[in-house]
This record gives sequence, C-alpha cells and structure tokens, in this order.
Amino acid sequence: MTAEAIRDSHFAAMVLFALLVSVALACLGRQTLTGRIKFALWSFALFLVIGVGVAWLMYPFSR
Amino acid sequence: MTTETLVTENSSRNNPVFTVLIAIAAWIVPGLGHLFLRRWSRAVGFFVAAGGLALAGYAMHGQAFKPGSGDPFGTLGFVADAFSGAFYFLPRVLTIVRPDLSHAAGDYGTRFIAAGGIVNLLAVIDAYGTARGERG
Repeated sequence: MTAEAIRDSHFAAMVLFALLVSVALACLGRQTLTGRIKFALWSFALFLVIGVGVAWLMYPFSR
Repeated sequence: MTTETLVTENSSRNNPVFTVLIAIAAWIVPGLGHLFLRRWSRAVGFFVAAGGLALAGYAMHGQAFKPGSGDPFGTLGFVADAFSGAFYFLPRVLTIVRPDLSHAAGDYGTRFIAAGGIVNLLAVIDAYGTARGERG
C-alpha cells in the first residue's frame, strides 16, 4: 500500500486505520500472543464491515 | 523465571522513579517502555500502531498542531499529537511536515496523526501499569 494509494483512496485509508488501531487495541486488550492475533483480526473485520455498512446506509443521502 | 529475576522485578515495581522512567520512555519512543519491561510483542505492536498512524498521517499531508495556538481545539490537537513522542517532534525538526488541507486526504491525515498520539497515550498508561505490576 503506497502513500499515493492512501492519499487517493478513502477506502485504503480506512483499511490502514482499521489495521493499525486493531493492533493497538489487541495489545491493550489481550495478554497472550494468540489472543492478541485473534482479537486484532476480529476487530479489523468489524471495523471494515461496520465502516462499509455505514457507508451504504449513507449512500442514498449523498446525492 | 529465576528467583533473582523475580527479586529484581519486584524491587523495580516498588520503585516510583523506575515506573516514571518507563512511562517517559514509552512516551518518547512508542513501545520503548514495553521493550525495557521485556514485553516484546506489545513493544512491537505499539511501535507499529502509533508510528504507522503518525507516518501515514504525514504521508497524507496531515497537519500536526503546534503549541500555543490560542484555540482550544488547536491546544487539544497539540496534546494529542505530542503524545506520539519522537513521531511528533522528529518530523518537525527534519521539516518533512507539509500539510495540505485542500484535499480530504490531508484532513484524514490530521486525524491519523492525532490517533497515533492517542494510541501512544494508551501505550504509556499500559507501560506504567505494567511497571507497577498492575498488568501482566
């Protein structure tokens, strides 16, 4: 993921934000490495699903 | 874990200077506090998360707030940004900060930099708690 891709694509920015914040939350919320990896993946997936879901809900009002 | 290591760790936990130094180290370089406490994976995680957010913010031409703006939101933004430690001060010293808020990406970048600072604030609190023996 290049700097240009992050600058040009809002989705790429959201994915990067979700990934990095998920890593931080996993480090805070779980004590074991396995628990952290599971938590980070789950948090990352939720960030994406909820983000795209909210975007779809807002879509009719964007025009 | 040997008895000697346990004794050293317990005496360190009772030393308030040690815990404050750990918190300062964690603030200056994200993850450094955990590194000193030998919490390797958390050290790497916080360094990647806080550093990655701040660097991505600069790459998106986000704005890092300066101190003494006189505006409450600017002050709040500075406090959030400054918690990135080296990731706030070094880019300013190296003058690689080129904010451009004429595009949405620049605005997002500003939030990324602030988020990096907030993540590192949480890391500092976590390192402090770990040094005091309140967390694992």
